[in-house]
Amino acid sequence: MRLLLVLLSALATLGLRGHAAVSVSPPARGPALAATAANGERPRGFTFARAEYSGTQGWRRGAWATDYPKADLQFITVARRLLPTLDIYGAEHTVRFDEPSLRRFPFVYAVEVAHMELSEAEVAGLRDYLLAGGFLFVDDFWGTAEWAAFERQIRRVLPDRPIEDLPQDHPVFRTYYDIARIHQVPSIDNICRRGRTWERDGYEPAVRGISDDAGRLMVLISWNSDLGDAWEWAEQPCYPLELSTFAFQLGLNAIVYAMSR
Amino acid sequence: MATFLDAVLAFLFKYRPALFAQGRLAWRPPVAPEWIALALLLAAALVVFTYARAGRARPRDRMLLATLRLGILALVGFALLRPTLLLSTVVPQQNYLGILIDDSRSMRIADADGRARGEQAAAAFSDPSSALARALAESFQLRYFRFADRARRADPAEAHGFDGAATRVAPALEAVRAELGSLPLSGLLLVSDGADNAAAGLSETLLSLRAAGIPVFTVGVGAERFQRDIELSRVGVPRSALRGSALVVDLMIAQNGYAGREVPVQVEDGGRLIAAETVKLPRDGEPSAVRVHFTLEEPGARRLRFRIPPQDGELIAENNQQEAVILVRGAREKILYFEGEPRWELKYLRRAVAQDSSLQVVALQRTADNKFLRLDVDSAGELYGGFPQTREELFAYRALVLGSVEASFFTHDQLQMIADFVAERGGGLLLLGGRAAFAEGGYAGTPVAEVLPVTLGNSRDTTFFAELEVRPTRAGLAHAALRVADSAPDTERRWATLPPLTTVNRVGRVKPGATTLLNGSGEGVSQPVLAFHRYGRGLALALAVQDTWLWQMHADMPLEDQTHERLWRQLLRWLVSDVPERVVASTAADHAAPGEPVHITAVVADERYLRVNDGRVVAEVTTPLGESLEVPLDWSLTSDGEYRGSFTPAEPGLHEIRVHAAREDVEHASAPTYVQVSESSAEFYGAQRRTPLLKRIAEETGGRYYDASALGTLHEDLAHTGRGVTIQEERELWDMPIVLVLALVMLAGEWVYRRRRALA
Repeated sequence: MRLLLVLLSALATLGLRGHAAVSVSPPARGPALAATAANGERPRGFTFARAEYSGTQGWRRGAWATDYPKADLQFITVARRLLPTLDIYGAEHTVRFDEPSLRRFPFVYAVEVAHMELSEAEVAGLRDYLLAGGFLFVDDFWGTAEWAAFERQIRRVLPDRPIEDLPQDHPVFRTYYDIARIHQVPSIDNICRRGRTWERDGYEPAVRGISDDAGRLMVLISWNSDLGDAWEWAEQPCYPLELSTFAFQLGLNAIVYAMSR
Repeated sequence: MATFLDAVLAFLFKYRPALFAQGRLAWRPPVAPEWIALALLLAAALVVFTYARAGRARPRDRMLLATLRLGILALVGFALLRPTLLLSTVVPQQNYLGILIDDSRSMRIADADGRARGEQAAAAFSDPSSALARALAESFQLRYFRFADRARRADPAEAHGFDGAATRVAPALEAVRAELGSLPLSGLLLVSDGADNAAAGLSETLLSLRAAGIPVFTVGVGAERFQRDIELSRVGVPRSALRGSALVVDLMIAQNGYAGREVPVQVEDGGRLIAAETVKLPRDGEPSAVRVHFTLEEPGARRLRFRIPPQDGELIAENNQQEAVILVRGAREKILYFEGEPRWELKYLRRAVAQDSSLQVVALQRTADNKFLRLDVDSAGELYGGFPQTREELFAYRALVLGSVEASFFTHDQLQMIADFVAERGGGLLLLGGRAAFAEGGYAGTPVAEVLPVTLGNSRDTTFFAELEVRPTRAGLAHAALRVADSAPDTERRWATLPPLTTVNRVGRVKPGATTLLNGSGEGVSQPVLAFHRYGRGLALALAVQDTWLWQMHADMPLEDQTHERLWRQLLRWLVSDVPERVVASTAADHAAPGEPVHITAVVADERYLRVNDGRVVAEVTTPLGESLEVPLDWSLTSDGEYRGSFTPAEPGLHEIRVHAAREDVEHASAPTYVQVSESSAEFYGAQRRTPLLKRIAEETGGRYYDASALGTLHEDLAHTGRGVTIQEERELWDMPIVLVLALVMLAGEWVYRRRRALA
């Protein structure tokens, strides 16, 4: 209940301002530092960075920007309330896998990853990033075809590491919130217009992961689920609170996990 | 030079100055001195009368000539009064002379005119065919002694062993004095290289000899400076270290004859070579410190040997090595890392030390008010309530890393407890930079600020931010914790290329006594980044940057680069390296000779690290043969929690000493220490002849110092010490060549002057 009140108050203050409300100060210390220091503030300890990957051609060009930036901004606002000790940068931020500043953002969120078509430079950049200790959280792709498309791309990055379903006692489900059940988080269209949570043949949600040799997650995969839409539309009365709550909880758990292990 | 001067004086004054010093002057005129005085006065009057008359000479000439004549008259008067030197001369065979010959190993060194020192000493004093020995035997009853760590009577015919493991002059002199003190003793003769390695002072012994009027004549053998020798004189090894720690050990090397030569310094662990470094030898006679780096991987007591292989033509091979015993701790050392917010530092610090089997970083991260994430705890109850509330709970850790957590989070008692953790428990504290650390975290004026090696300002500037190039200071480059590459040049190069870090903390000055290891500069800011000092029993570090994780994640850092991991492993190992246990056992030295007492000291504290004075403390000594003996330790009465005791090892080898502390018959802590028992090689270190010491002994007791190669006057000097049974001997001085010389000089002077002035 307390979480509900916090969520509603956070979203009420944010409204639908969008990203125009926050501007980025001109670069002074190189792009990476300047990008996370808004309006003369000093750079923050954590930046919610979204991956701006190369995508397939056609109508889905720019799939990386799905729900962007509203989902990011609402997530940041809620994170400030729910994870008050986190020194989080208040604006959205994007980063490419093939740019050196990627390594300054050890947590990166990527959506619609079935539409990734990574260049060789992006593959190499992402591999180095993950092997050095970076953390990739992927979300919002549905069904077996999209899984196959994603797997094809991630196999180019990490060819030999297994992708495993994370058991319910995995630390990522307990590191901040105790998450007892994995929900299917639907897009707003599906839940508010069609009254369903699934898309394509993605009926069962899954949280999977790729870990390093010490068992620490490098890639966290939310499949058959769309956390980003829940963050973006949590203030809508038609969006189920239980599901948006789960979406925020898993997002925050992923951050605390990525920042401690 | 002094010898030449002595010879000239002895010629002019007929006898050596030493005899004048031993005797006294008297006059023996053949007639009553009044007659002599009258005759001289008349002659003087005649001179004055003669020169007072006016003549061709100027008054100045006459004055000078009269003075010369009067001088000659004075010399005649001096001779007529028959000056005599009165000397007390020993009555032959009525007096005793104690001869102490150094029997220590350093007397084996062959630097005495091509012979061993001992051979030279024996040839001069023990050999019956020696002229000096015969002369001495004619004048004195000789009593021979040999000494090393103690003195004993010896037959001069008995062959010398020269196998004493130590030289202790003072007790030797005391013992001989006690034995001969009741006899008519002319003095003592000490034959030695003076390479005394006793810890006790000599002053009291010399004072008592002086008071008893026993002069000590000293004879120095050996060279004051070796021609060709390398000596590894000192090695600074910690008594314990963490398994796998990179150790940096300073060695002190002195040498003669090999300046500039490159030689290997080898480190052996139980006979196995574990490191070797090539060092360039310093200039002749100038001791110089060199560093060797090595790692100890096997836990337990390790016997290390540091050695430089003997070089061609080296005089002493035995002083090319040093041994040390070091306890390598194999257990995981628990470190509490408290972070006030989710931060990348926590993640990457934990990753950096994850593979280190000697470190256990227990992480406590505040995620919300009264909500904490605990990682790597040993039990479900550990840190359940957040940061420790009691001393027992906090003091169970060996080090504490404080991240970005504001001072107001803690109660005053907790802040004081953190200060006590360093000062009393002896733990290591590392304060990391961050938005809620240092002054920005409100630590100014708190007990924690007292502990820090840097001063804190009072302002909490929430806008301060600077990107800093971080570079080591000279001290930093030399410090083992900052050695991020295998060699010193590689380390320096690596530091020069590391990407910049950022800080949000304005750090003030480094406190007096603290050391800066890293400095940061950039964006108009220059301030210490890493500083440390010892505080109380513990160690406090300040690392005033917030993102060392960039040294892992920055795009310029190659994936295989280990700088970040290595730096953090070494920093945390350093932080826990000297943290005391509740019982700290130690011995005065890590080496002892068989039969030499080993003094054990134990400092005992309870769970809260408060010193315990009423405990039952026992040292269990396990000998190399596996035998066990119990040595009770007693409270020292002078220092809280300090207990002392001693035992005397008989057999050589490594002895384990495990100190058990119990209260009310319940053991609450124990700790080991080790001592290596072996024949000492101390005699070969600093083994040059120490002339100043031998001279001091002679001068302070009224004796004389001789070089072994110039003993010509020794017998005569000994005969006139005035001690023992003596007769008075008179030696006339009127015929001293100086009298004739002066008379001739004055006569010649008068003649030359007259010629020059045309007065003849």
